[in-house]
Amino acid sequence: MPLPQSYRETRITPKTSRMVEALWSFVAPHAGHSLVLPDGRCDIILRDTAQGTTAVITGPATRAYRVHFQKGDRWRGVRLRPETGRFVWQDQLAIPVDQVLIGPDAVAALPVLRSALVAPDPMAVLAQALQIPRARPAPAALSQTLDAVHTSGGRLSVRHLAARSGWTPRHLTRMFRKYVGLGPKTYGQIVQFHRALRLIKDHQLPLSAAAHEAGYADHPHMTRAFARFGGFSPARLPADLDLPGLGSI
Amino acid sequence: MKLGYIIIYVADVPATLSFYETAFGLHRRFLHDSKLYGEMDTGSTVLAFAGNEAAEMADLAITPNDPKAPAAGWEVCFVTDDVQAAFDRAVSAGCRAVTPPQDKPWGQTVSYVRDINGCLVEIASPVRGAQTDG
Repeated sequence: MPLPQSYRETRITPKTSRMVEALWSFVAPHAGHSLVLPDGRCDIILRDTAQGTTAVITGPATRAYRVHFQKGDRWRGVRLRPETGRFVWQDQLAIPVDQVLIGPDAVAALPVLRSALVAPDPMAVLAQALQIPRARPAPAALSQTLDAVHTSGGRLSVRHLAARSGWTPRHLTRMFRKYVGLGPKTYGQIVQFHRALRLIKDHQLPLSAAAHEAGYADHPHMTRAFARFGGFSPARLPADLDLPGLGSI
Repeated sequence: MKLGYIIIYVADVPATLSFYETAFGLHRRFLHDSKLYGEMDTGSTVLAFAGNEAAEMADLAITPNDPKAPAAGWEVCFVTDDVQAAFDRAVSAGCRAVTPPQDKPWGQTVSYVRDINGCLVEIASPVRGAQTDG
């Protein structure tokens, strides 16, 4: 996807960091809005507006939502790897699907935000704190399963993923819910949705061909997935999708 | 069109390059800085390896190669005059033996192994009358 000039991202490749996937920042060049698509990941975000700086923690999302901004509004974020959702939500991970902690609620969940908010370089403070995992890291088989979901574009069944991991489907589902906050089927469907979107938007594949290549049974099934995860039709892509740092993969 | 490349998607490109050097006596042409792509020196048709992440970045969806699962439905075939020696070398480097060298009725000696990624590799003698690079 073409990245807007005002968007910066430092890629920390998945293999080099167990916790953090990317540090990103975005400054709004003008007032407007953007559709944030679910990507199954949690972000820790500092949002700067004329009113001041607010901390935001996003839970693993399965629905799209719109963000509205004024010119000069800034976001700085840490995108966590999918299996580290547990780090910020701990035992509440089962609850906060599609939920967001804002301001004092975010600070209560992640006390390091208190010092980050008053530091001259808040992102450095956050990045530093994230070097030390609070919770036990996810089992290797979970990270490998996540890799397989992404490599296969979400097209491998839960049964196939479980067989690869050496776990039963039930245990794999438990591990996903525990560490990622979503079940493997939903997570795979989100990955599949994003790939279909790229095939249509970036590669200009015709809709039926995109549905087939993305692994949907047919065009209507793809349309249903787009309605669920994006709130829009594949035939009518919203104009305000182009802000990858705020959620799209 | 010419057959330019055979590119196999693997979990670890540097490890695979080293493995193909040790197990099959090939030499690497280069390894990209990203560590997501590398080529072996195999003449005009290049045997190359790409990282699974590279597939995702290219918006491809593939079933990752898996040593524990049945092999994917294709093979790479190396041709050599001393199949037994090549087979033994591959197995001691860490390949899983599938079928040891056997003489076939049509005069070819044929063996199969699986590499560290679970890919099917055939090591065989030249078909009678054909050329070999040894």
